[in-house]
Amino acid sequence: MRKAMVNAVSAMLRGHEDTALLLVDIGVWAFRDVLAAYPQRAKNIGIFEDGTVSLAAGLSLAGVTPTVYGISPFIAQRALEQLKLDFVYQKTGGNFITTGASYDFSTLGYSHYCPEDVATLRLLPGMEIVAPGTPEQFTALFDACWNDGRPTYFRMTDHCNQTRAAVEFGKAAVLRRGSRATVIAAAEALDATLAACGGLDVTVLYYTTLAPFDGETLRREYAGGKVFVSTPFYEGSLTADIMQALSGRPVRLAEAGVPLEVLRTYGTKREKDAGLGLDAPGIRQRLESFLRQ
Amino acid sequence: MTEAAKELRKELLRTSALGRDGNLQSGFSSLEILWTLYDRVLRVTPGTAADPGRDRFVLSKGQSTEALLAVLARKGFLPQEELKTFCQYDSRIAMQADRTKLPVEISAGSLGHGLPMAAGMAWAGRILGRKGRVFALVGDGEMNEGTMWEALLFAASEGLNRLTVIIDDNGSIGRLIDMGDMRAKLEAFGFETAVVDGHDEEALAEALSAEHARPLAVIAKTVRGYGSKTLMEDRSWFHRYPKEEELPALLAEVDAFDSGKEAVR
Repeated sequence: MRKAMVNAVSAMLRGHEDTALLLVDIGVWAFRDVLAAYPQRAKNIGIFEDGTVSLAAGLSLAGVTPTVYGISPFIAQRALEQLKLDFVYQKTGGNFITTGASYDFSTLGYSHYCPEDVATLRLLPGMEIVAPGTPEQFTALFDACWNDGRPTYFRMTDHCNQTRAAVEFGKAAVLRRGSRATVIAAAEALDATLAACGGLDVTVLYYTTLAPFDGETLRREYAGGKVFVSTPFYEGSLTADIMQALSGRPVRLAEAGVPLEVLRTYGTKREKDAGLGLDAPGIRQRLESFLRQ
Repeated sequence: MTEAAKELRKELLRTSALGRDGNLQSGFSSLEILWTLYDRVLRVTPGTAADPGRDRFVLSKGQSTEALLAVLARKGFLPQEELKTFCQYDSRIAMQADRTKLPVEISAGSLGHGLPMAAGMAWAGRILGRKGRVFALVGDGEMNEGTMWEALLFAASEGLNRLTVIIDDNGSIGRLIDMGDMRAKLEAFGFETAVVDGHDEEALAEALSAEHARPLAVIAKTVRGYGSKTLMEDRSWFHRYPKEEELPALLAEVDAFDSGKEAVR
C-alpha cells in the first residue's frame, strides 16, 4: 500500500502545481524522486506534527492543497487541535496520510499505536476518514478525495487484505448477502472477518469510508435484526453511526474490536490480533455465539 | 495618540458595552498596530479582499479580535452599524472572528495557531509566485506556545522573507516565566528584528514597511489597556465589559488621555 500511496501522491504533485507534500521525517526515501523534482513544494520539514498541520492549513487557505504524511497517533492525536481548528473550523481542505494503523508498529509500544483514530476524528464535523484495505483501494479513495476541498484522513496499513473488493468513496461494499445478521468489516479486518463468516448465512458489508458513514447501505442490507462489527479500531468506534443509521429499529449488536486498554504486548501485529481474539478463529467464536443468542 | 486611535478605542468601549463582553486591555494594546497595518501598510481593500495576490493579515492573538473588527469597520470591510450586533446570537461578529462569516484570513481563538498558518500562507505565496506579503500579529504571552517556535524555525529555515511577525509585547509573559531577551532569541532563530513603540503609528509604519531579506519580527512595545487609565491600572479589565454607568467615564478617559505622560515601557 505504501508504494501505491507514493505513486498516487507523486502523480498528484506532478500533475498539479498547486499541491504540496509535507513529510515529518518519514517516507523520505520513498518520496526521494518528488522531493528532488519539486523542492519548493515537496519537503521533509521536520518533526513537529502539530505545527506542520497548521502550516498545511496556511498553504490550503492560500490556494495550495497540502498532503501531510505521518504516523497515525502523531497526526490524529498530537495534531488533533490543529485538524479541528485549522482545517475543520476554517472550512478548508487537506490530506493526512498515516502509517501505523492501529498497531502495525507492534514492537514500538503504545506510543506508536492508534486504534482510536476513527473514534476521535469522527467527532470533527466534515472530516473525511478513509481506511483502505488494499493498494488499489488506497488509489481509488485518494483519487476521489484529495482535491475535494475537505480535510481527509487516509489510514494506511501494512497488513493489506488478500480479498480484492471494488470500493467507492462514501459507500460500503456489499460482499455477501445472508439472512441471520449483517456483519460490518472495516479496513484490514476484512480477510479475517470473511474467513470467520465461512459457511454462515450472513450479509457482509465492507467499509473503507468511515466518515461520512454510509448508513443508507446498512439500512438497506440490515438482516436478521443483528449487527456484528469487526474492525481493527477500539470497540465502539462505529456504534453511534450504526445506531443512528438503524434508528427506530430493534438492533442487537456485538463486536470484535480492540478492547479499550493500554496495549502492553509486543510481538507481531498478527500475534496481537490473535491475543485480542481478532484473528479468524477469535472472530468466528464471537460471531457464532452472537448468532446463537 | 492620534484622533483615529482615540475614536477606535471609544468604538471598542461602546461595542463591548452593547455586546456585554470584551478583552479591552488586549484590544487597546494592539490598537495602533492594527490601525497602522490597515491604514498604511497592507495592500488590501474591501474590493481586493478575495484577490489571491493580496497582502494577508493573520490575527494569531485572538483576544484582539474586537479591535480588529473596529478597524475593519472603519476601513469598509464591514458596515460600521454592524458593530452594534457584537456577540448577539445570530451576529457575524463576536469575541473571536469566524472566517466563514467575515473578510478575515483565519478563524482564531486558540493561541499558537495563527503564526504557523501565516508561515504556511507565505510558503504558498512562494510556491504560486505571488507578491503578497503575510503579517501575523501575536501576543508576547502567546510566545509560550511551542508551535510558535516551530513556525519561526520553519520560516527562517525556508527564508520566508514575505512573512512579518509582529509581537504585541505588553509584558504578559513576564508574569509567567522569564522570557529573557526576546529580540536575541528571534535573531538567533534567523529573523531580522526591529523594536518599536507599539503605540507610535509612524514608527510602526516605518518598521512594517521596511525591506527585509529574511523573515522579519517586529517587537512592538505596548501597554495593556493603553489609552485608558482605568484599563491600564486595573487587572480585572482583561476580560470584562463596561456597564452602562461606567461608560461615560471610560470614554472621557480616552478623550483626556495624554500619551506624552504615559511613557511606554
